[in-house]
Amino acid sequence: MEGGAIKSILVVDDEAIMRDFLFDVLEGFEVEKASDGDEAIAKMKEKEFDLIITDMKMPRVSGEEVVKFARETYPRSRVIVVSGYSSLASVGTALGYGICAFLAKPFTIKQLRAEIDKSLSQKDVNPPGESRRENG
Amino acid sequence: MNPFNLPRKCALREKFVVVVSAVIVVSMLVISGYLIKRQNEVFHQQLDKRGVALITNLAYNAEYGVILEAEDELETLIKGVAMADDVIYVTIVAADGRTLAGTGKDLKGTVRQLPIKQEELEVGSNKVQDKYFRAADGAEFIELAYPVQTQRKSVSKENLGAVAGYSEEQGATTTEIIGEVRIGLTLENMHKEIVKSRTAAILLTLMVVLSAIIIMTAFVRIITRPIESLVDVTDHISKGDLSKTVDVMWKDEIGHLAESFNRMIESLKKSQDEIEEYNRTLEEKIIERTKELEDAQSQLVQSEKMAAVGQLAAGVAHELNNPLGGILGYAQFALEKIQSKEINEFTPKDIESYKRYLSDIENQSRRCKAIVRNLLKFSRTSQTLELQEIEINQVLDETLSFLEHQLMMNQLSLKKMYDKTIPRTKGNPGQLQQVFTNIVINAMHASRPGSEIAISTRWLPPLGEFSGAIEVAIADEGIGISEANQKKIFEPFFTTKEVGKGTGLGLSVSYGIIKEHGGEIKVKSKPGEGTVFTIILPLEKRSDSVEIISNRQGV
Repeated sequence: MEGGAIKSILVVDDEAIMRDFLFDVLEGFEVEKASDGDEAIAKMKEKEFDLIITDMKMPRVSGEEVVKFARETYPRSRVIVVSGYSSLASVGTALGYGICAFLAKPFTIKQLRAEIDKSLSQKDVNPPGESRRENG
Repeated sequence: MNPFNLPRKCALREKFVVVVSAVIVVSMLVISGYLIKRQNEVFHQQLDKRGVALITNLAYNAEYGVILEAEDELETLIKGVAMADDVIYVTIVAADGRTLAGTGKDLKGTVRQLPIKQEELEVGSNKVQDKYFRAADGAEFIELAYPVQTQRKSVSKENLGAVAGYSEEQGATTTEIIGEVRIGLTLENMHKEIVKSRTAAILLTLMVVLSAIIIMTAFVRIITRPIESLVDVTDHISKGDLSKTVDVMWKDEIGHLAESFNRMIESLKKSQDEIEEYNRTLEEKIIERTKELEDAQSQLVQSEKMAAVGQLAAGVAHELNNPLGGILGYAQFALEKIQSKEINEFTPKDIESYKRYLSDIENQSRRCKAIVRNLLKFSRTSQTLELQEIEINQVLDETLSFLEHQLMMNQLSLKKMYDKTIPRTKGNPGQLQQVFTNIVINAMHASRPGSEIAISTRWLPPLGEFSGAIEVAIADEGIGISEANQKKIFEPFFTTKEVGKGTGLGLSVSYGIIKEHGGEIKVKSKPGEGTVFTIILPLEKRSDSVEIISNRQGV
């Protein structure tokens, strides 16, 4: 993941409108969409994404599983959680795996871009263990 | 009361009559008996007197006949005596026992044996011997016997032929019994008289008793009529009829009783009126209180509903946040795009994109509108049960849309098994949503993370009299409900939740709602394994199917 290269982003949401919107708005990135956790994990198995933007509440495999898989498989992947719930509590245990940002729906494009920039420019994300230590 | 009173009343009258009649009969019998006995004695005495007169007269007249043994003369004498109707026979016997003359029945064997002993008859006495006999044919009679006496002078030979008139002074005289006269006197006449008297006495007794009975009956009736009237009025009172009063006929004890009874009825009527008046106001009060209770009940339903709405708030927010996210995002994005270019720089492709953004915004706005409308529908106050055509699966989906997030938060999965063939039915969607919400929230609270809540619907098609029903089952794999609590969960204010966590009204309100729909709500649970709530909503009998058949027949 060299600095100049186009960053890849995986958008995971069971809400079509959110997937479409993120796909449309994230110009200048290589964006892929997944409508649930299963599909997301399948896509991540094929390739490493620089950023994963995922919803939490999804049928079958939840966002939590996606975060866990991404962080454990690709420690360098950044994760942003978007959620319909305003409270961070809805992120639940996913927080422990190390996420860069939490965006509560509805969010502005400005907020989204700021969080993406911040996440991608972040030198490193605490690995799960350290994150827990830090939180503890 | 009557079947007991009637015989007692009769008995009173009869007892009275019987006792008085018995007293009359006994006294009549005693009096008659005494009178008849007296009469008997008088008869005897009279008969005796007559007999004595007859026999002494006959004995005196028979003196010379006996001396001379002039039978013809004696017969004539006897005939004169025998003419009397109670004389049965007359016999004159000589001192040696020979019958000198006789008339009447052959009374052989009943006659005293002769010769007559001198000592038996007191010479010169007027005493008549009488003896009672009963003949072989049963005829009763008395026999009187009297000696025939003569005076014998001891005449000296020298005095023979002298004038008889001087004889008394001249010689001693001795009285000598020369025979006996016997007269049989029948007692039949006396008996006939006695029988007549007895018959008369009996008849008289009967008449007295009869008239006594008639008088007594009338008298008893006079006494009992007011009592009967009292009893009749009492019967009416016992049936609650206070309109009758007792007739006061006499100013006697019963009259007094009737008067005080009437006074009692009067005061009873008064207190009854008071009670009725009290009841009426009580009824008004009850109606008033019922109204208040009903208001409280509907307020309760409403507040319980609002509590559910509160519990749904997070879910509603989540439901809204998704479309809102799209709306906000696309609106900003479109604006950004439009601002970044001059109008003439827009390519057809750009326009196409903007159109898509706008139509997405429109669609998501509609989605928001639907959610809000659904929430309003749920929370709307309804005093009465407003029924409308509903589709049960849709009502469930609308309910679950608010609950899904909470289920997710509690790491519970939701399984829907809908029967798509269920026909539309009549129901109040808001109230039914309240019921489903309540049960699902309860299921959620009872479930462990990772378990499942299954919601299934089933159509029970009509069969004969049964017009069909819809069954909704909500099953969880939670902690379950103990058997003792299963009986109480539909009771108001029953809760197993901590203080402040539940009102204890959710299920009782749900129960009321389902009952109002004419349905049933049941619970089946095994502690540790889970709970199933089953709601049965009856389907209305559809008249259109009948119409179709008749149309077909018409064709």
